[in-house]
Amino acid sequence: MTEISAKYEQLIEDLRRDYRPQREWGEGRGVFLVIGHFLVGVAAGAWLFGIIFNYVPGLVAGFLLAGGGGIAHLAFLGRPERFWRMVRHVRTAWISRGFVGLTLFLVGGVLYLPPLVLTGWPWAADSMLGYLGWGMAAFGMVVLIVYMGFVYTASKGIPFWNSPLHPVLYMAYALRGGIAALLVTMALFNAPSVDATSLVTIWIAVTGVVIVLFALEIQGALTGGNPAARRSVREMLAGRMAVYFYGGTLLIGLVVPLALLSGHIAPLSVGILAAIGLFSALGDFFMKYTTIRAGIYLPLRPRQGRHVE
Amino acid sequence: MRWGMVIDLKRCIGCYGCQLACKAEHGTPPGVYYARVLKSEEGQYPTVRNLFLPVLCNHCEDPPCVEACPTGASFKWEEDGIVDIDHDLCVGCRSCMMACPYTNRYFNDQVPHYHPQGATPYEAARAAPHPSNVVMKCNFCRDRVRAGKPPACVANCPTVARIFGDLDDPTSEVSRLIKERGGFTLHPEVGTGPSVYYLPA
Repeated sequence: MTEISAKYEQLIEDLRRDYRPQREWGEGRGVFLVIGHFLVGVAAGAWLFGIIFNYVPGLVAGFLLAGGGGIAHLAFLGRPERFWRMVRHVRTAWISRGFVGLTLFLVGGVLYLPPLVLTGWPWAADSMLGYLGWGMAAFGMVVLIVYMGFVYTASKGIPFWNSPLHPVLYMAYALRGGIAALLVTMALFNAPSVDATSLVTIWIAVTGVVIVLFALEIQGALTGGNPAARRSVREMLAGRMAVYFYGGTLLIGLVVPLALLSGHIAPLSVGILAAIGLFSALGDFFMKYTTIRAGIYLPLRPRQGRHVE
Repeated sequence: MRWGMVIDLKRCIGCYGCQLACKAEHGTPPGVYYARVLKSEEGQYPTVRNLFLPVLCNHCEDPPCVEACPTGASFKWEEDGIVDIDHDLCVGCRSCMMACPYTNRYFNDQVPHYHPQGATPYEAARAAPHPSNVVMKCNFCRDRVRAGKPPACVANCPTVARIFGDLDDPTSEVSRLIKERGGFTLHPEVGTGPSVYYLPA
């Protein structure tokens, strides 16, 4: 069976179901969207903490991750050659806002970063162009941290995503990803110029916030009265996404970093902190992946009978 | 003017005539259905009955797909309320598919033919106007409607279960049927103001 015919058969099977899973975001080429959202979120967080801790490698990492995120988004689009058209609906579409945010972030990074890392650059970081770049990147960063959750909340066809907590949760992911990026960057540059204790403390606090928000979202989906949202939770906790959730999100993203942090496995070092960051980021990726893949469309039938065709 | 459709569930016999007529009219590729019929059964033997629910784009008054579209490819015609897609603008992000509470949008990401050996000449001719890697959906057969004809699914329904008309005109048949027979929409709680109404079975 070819890939196309397999996809067709899958669609026909899905259309027969009362609870039809969404497959466009997350399956096949759709995985690039998850990668794009993940990278862009981490990039914005890395930039934020890079600014807070005045850590230039963190800013560079943020810029590179954002570039990778942009490429991943392009790889997802059906018609990537038309990407520039996404600027048109900023007034209503969160994807447009995200596109503008990413563009500002990347252009701002191009203006602000080179004078910081290269010698003999035509303008300085504290020149008018440098300040302009800083401002554009900072504005873009805020948009990138904020917009992603709203893209999902605006998806009225997927009740599980259509939650007011989703944007806050995605903001928390961006912060957690940003800290993770800085922890990894510190090891790569072998220059722990950032106060690691502060970073780890923030990581623990943000991880706590993510756990609480996620638990609230699950609780809301289970008690909100929407059967599609409940089905999504079931898919995530006990269905086709359970392996990714327990293995990826909980084990890799939470248990392993906490075990490493406890110091029982090995004494804390720059390398161990980098491993904590890496596992934490991987866990966030799986969290986003499972949430997206667990999306179930609102069922169409007003009354649920036994489906026969 | 706001075009709308009333589907009489008491008259629908689940023959798939609408689905086939739509396919014949538009030559939509595999995996793209502008009109579908959902069939299910309820009850326990011996009191079992079939339920048919024909579905299509609801051409909402406040369409979330239009709001979510980043390029303006999804839009609503001001003069008749039909929600349409400009395929030349569509970037294939599929956010409209996630925004639609009625799941009646399809992504055409495949070579549009039914047979493994390739498209037949007929298929090739019919599929030619459909670009790939964009989202597709029902537009109430706008070309037919503008030519004074009803949509293909309406014209080909053998039991006259589908009625098409102006929802803004209180004297139109659709308005009368909705009022007299208690027409309802799917998922009114979403607040999109669908233009497709159903009459109870």
